[in-house]
Amino acid sequence: MDFPSRARAAVPAFAVVVLAACCAVLRARAQQLAPAVLEATFDIPAFPAEVVRPFSFGLRSVVADLMFLEAIQIHGGRGSKAQTLEKGGHDDRALNRLLTYATDLDPKFAGAYRFAGNAMPRQTADGKVTNVLQAVALLTKGVRERGDDWRIPFTLAFLQSYYLGRFDEAGRNFAVAAKLPGAPPYVGFLATRSSIEGGDLQFAEQLARAMLEQATEESTQQEWQERLRDLRMERDLRDIEAAAARFSARRGHAPESLAALVNAGELAAVPREPHGGRYLLSPQGEARSSAKPRLRIRGRQGTVAGLEVR
Amino acid sequence: MTDSLRASWIIAGNTVRELVRSKLLHNLIFFAVLLIASSMFVAQLTIGQWDRVILDMGLAAIELSGVLVAVLIGVGLVAGEIERRTVFPTLARPLSRGAFLLGRFLGLFAMMAVSVVLMMAVLAGVLRLAGYGVSSSVAVAALLILLELALMAAAALLFGSFTKPILASAFSLSLFLVGHLLSDLKAFQQRSQSELAKALTGVAYRMLPDLELLNVKSLAANELPVPHGLAQAGALYAVAYAAGLLVIAVVIFSRRDLK
Repeated sequence: MDFPSRARAAVPAFAVVVLAACCAVLRARAQQLAPAVLEATFDIPAFPAEVVRPFSFGLRSVVADLMFLEAIQIHGGRGSKAQTLEKGGHDDRALNRLLTYATDLDPKFAGAYRFAGNAMPRQTADGKVTNVLQAVALLTKGVRERGDDWRIPFTLAFLQSYYLGRFDEAGRNFAVAAKLPGAPPYVGFLATRSSIEGGDLQFAEQLARAMLEQATEESTQQEWQERLRDLRMERDLRDIEAAAARFSARRGHAPESLAALVNAGELAAVPREPHGGRYLLSPQGEARSSAKPRLRIRGRQGTVAGLEVR
Repeated sequence: MTDSLRASWIIAGNTVRELVRSKLLHNLIFFAVLLIASSMFVAQLTIGQWDRVILDMGLAAIELSGVLVAVLIGVGLVAGEIERRTVFPTLARPLSRGAFLLGRFLGLFAMMAVSVVLMMAVLAGVLRLAGYGVSSSVAVAALLILLELALMAAAALLFGSFTKPILASAFSLSLFLVGHLLSDLKAFQQRSQSELAKALTGVAYRMLPDLELLNVKSLAANELPVPHGLAQAGALYAVAYAAGLLVIAVVIFSRRDLK
């Protein structure tokens, strides 16, 4: 083969090499010029359940599992170090959407509700608690759909009392959990304690009586009887404090003793302390029992240690 | 009548013998078994809920591979034979076309039953390895899957009786997809403003098979009992629907000019 023929044969190969080099250079240049990929591009899209459900074609449970597994991977990838609200916002949204999809596809998915309650609320590095309201919404759906799993209302009640300071709602959800099979005895006690904190003494007493009636073991019955005595004591203490407040308002000074309240007609009689102790009144008008401290959940002022809850 | 049944029985036996040697069937079952076994590893990615993930993946694998067997093999048993012209020597014998079709269906159903039992055994083994058992809901779910497969096989034979294999496969798979969307179709009908769309979707809703009635996989995976009477009603519905499809298939196939 002479030189011109060889040269002609090499032309295609040469052209390919030149074009490949051009491609590499142009690609690098285009990548430099392209706008940065927005984080939102990788967000889990907010499809409504009406769209997600049909596209699972009878395999809803499996698709729900895949969503749930993805949520677990995201939660695991967060690490233990607290992030700011903004920095962790992407994962918060993803967790909420994935678990919403999982439970929309399979409303009976108890594990997804429980995981939502435990994994979604996040305390941020900049003094906030996020994803609480979303977790509460999911758990509320879970209570409706899985009325047989005590852990779902229990987790909901925990979020309501711990993060939101809604003790009356928490008390009711603890009560729902306490009545379900498998619930440990302490859930009922938490219910009464939360209800007292929320101010609903009547509900707490009703629940304690119901729990006493259904308790089969003697030790549990004794515990509930003790709780009923605690509730009676709380009712008495509130009556005394209310009488003391009325006394102070009318006379312009605090009552010196319980007897002064009775003499002034603010209190019909000094109630009998159900534990065998006696009631005392402080100069500030705060009542207490000599036998037992009051049932209280301390340190909550509507939010966790002053954190902003979202 | 007795001769037709005997002929159907013979055709069914031959179909089973053919399918035992079918590489497509072997591959689909192997794929499903692999998927069921791998669910053990996928389950480890979750927190608790191992049994749920294994059951979901296992039952889905059984259903999907079963549907592929019912459709691809079911279509091949009639439409494929017509296209390859291998059906003529069989039909040249003293045998009605209805008996041929029924025999094909029975043979295919027998093989599907064997494959579902085999895959359920593997699923039970995987669950056992993970420390769980098989509940009655899971058994009911598997039985309803088998009946869904029977319905799909009947649909594949029906479509295969009047059209080409590729079209018959497409129609059958579409029926499977639409069959799981009927509740959404009804919702669409209720929301639609057009009277024509309402009428059309209403007809489709009543005519198409509601395969969601045979879907209790979610209940099984959530360890919830199947509502009383649902399994029986669903099973009878599937049997009746499959029988109806087979009757239409026999009528069409008997009148079809195969030349």
